[in-house]
Amino acid sequence: MKRIYLHPLPLRIWHWVNALLVILLIITGIQLRISGVPSLGPRHPALWVHKYAGWAMAASCVFWIVYSLVSRNLSRQYAVRRRDLKGIFRQAKFYLISIFQGEENPFRATPEEKFNPLQKLAYGAIMCIFTPILVVTGLLFNDILFFRKYILLWDVVGALNAIHVMGAYVFALYLVVHIYMATLGRTASSHLKAMIVGYEEEADEPGEEVGQGIS
Amino acid sequence: MAKRGTMGRHGEKKESLEPDVGWFSLNPTCSRRQTLKWGGLSVIGISVLGPVLAQGATRPLIIMEPALGLVVADPMKCVGCGRCELACTEFNDGKAAPAMSRIKVGRNLHFGPDGVSAWREGQGNWGNGLVVQDLCKQCPHPVPCANICPEDAIVLAPSGNARMVDPDKCTGCKICLRACPWEMISFDPDSRKATKCHLCNGKPKCVAACPAQSLSYVPWRDLTARVPPRLKNTVQLPSERSVACRQCHLPGQTKNVSQGIEMFQGWVKGGRPLSAREFGFKWIDLAGSILLPLAVVSVVAHAVLRKVVKR
Repeated sequence: MKRIYLHPLPLRIWHWVNALLVILLIITGIQLRISGVPSLGPRHPALWVHKYAGWAMAASCVFWIVYSLVSRNLSRQYAVRRRDLKGIFRQAKFYLISIFQGEENPFRATPEEKFNPLQKLAYGAIMCIFTPILVVTGLLFNDILFFRKYILLWDVVGALNAIHVMGAYVFALYLVVHIYMATLGRTASSHLKAMIVGYEEEADEPGEEVGQGIS
Repeated sequence: MAKRGTMGRHGEKKESLEPDVGWFSLNPTCSRRQTLKWGGLSVIGISVLGPVLAQGATRPLIIMEPALGLVVADPMKCVGCGRCELACTEFNDGKAAPAMSRIKVGRNLHFGPDGVSAWREGQGNWGNGLVVQDLCKQCPHPVPCANICPEDAIVLAPSGNARMVDPDKCTGCKICLRACPWEMISFDPDSRKATKCHLCNGKPKCVAACPAQSLSYVPWRDLTARVPPRLKNTVQLPSERSVACRQCHLPGQTKNVSQGIEMFQGWVKGGRPLSAREFGFKWIDLAGSILLPLAVVSVVAHAVLRKVVKR
């Protein structure tokens, strides 16, 4: 068994703060969506928890983008290269078929290339498209005076609401798959441990339990 | 039907009367029979007019966008000099007429149990002697003055969404003066038209004229949401009018996909799209409530299948 240092400390801290925020936002968001904001009343804790967790989420999103740009993570880890295009099908075939046949994950994570092509796509879409969309539409709900008149003028409150909720459902779908795939490591908790300590434990010789990427 | 019938009879009577009495003669003679006939006809006519006039009462609510700002006063700073009233009428009417100023500054004096003896009622039974400043609150809809106006003369100001009186439409019936719960509509005795605060195109002259910085022009915000909800709903609209409310104030939800498509088409074609407030996109929730359990189920199935095949 060998240990690979995959996740640097700032990213690990960011990941778990972000996870906490996402859980808070999803719980309060479901609450707000089911009962409707007007019937909850203006003093309901779900409202302000969602609001301030949302602001924190905005900060977290900005941090991730700045960190990924400065540390060149975005270009090193997330850029989809030519060989990744083939890898997409290989990886998908692995998760859909070969994993049941006991085959080994075709992708091995290294510090230089942490993510398999599917992970690149999923993480890239979530962090570069869906989280910013959720954050921006959420911020626009904050009744900021500058945007307020345009929101009223163009009558886009309902459209913003729709985009926000749609984004939230996509995020929730992603979360289900993410949590499941996090258990597909060498052991069920090895990816989780790696996200806490930073070191991923991997099988050395083929034939032992296989390490399979999170996606 | 009934209306048309009376009109017909009306016409006949008119013809038969003409030989006897000049239609517009200043001193007409009128027999008892004619008096009874005309009196009866006018009773029928008025009773037929009743439902026709009553149609006005069932016209839909006027929905107005919230104003972008309003003028508020700090009573602790106000010295009661009245320069705001002068500035208001000077700018808007070209004369010094504080009595018809849109901002109304007065002293809440101790004038007995009926309050201030002038047009304003006292705070409680006894005036407290403070200077009070009253201004149009730029009500959100239903805007009382705009809803009551039979001429639809209270319209949105082009900038700032203030509710303003269109002097071309106003007939000076003064019904808005009664409808405003704050008594904030003024009446110009010279032009015989109602007038109200329209925020001077976003640069209120009263604010500029205030020497004590008591007045300020602030963004309009609906603070009623911060008031704890009442236990009992005290506002009772007639059911035919509250239909209009229920169209917008749904408990947050939606109608169907076709409306979404309609709205999208509105965007594509340009122009004013279907108001998004009319629906809350229930189909998104529908899709989510199908897809999310589906994801959970497929993930569980994946895990189970993995375990089974491994054996």
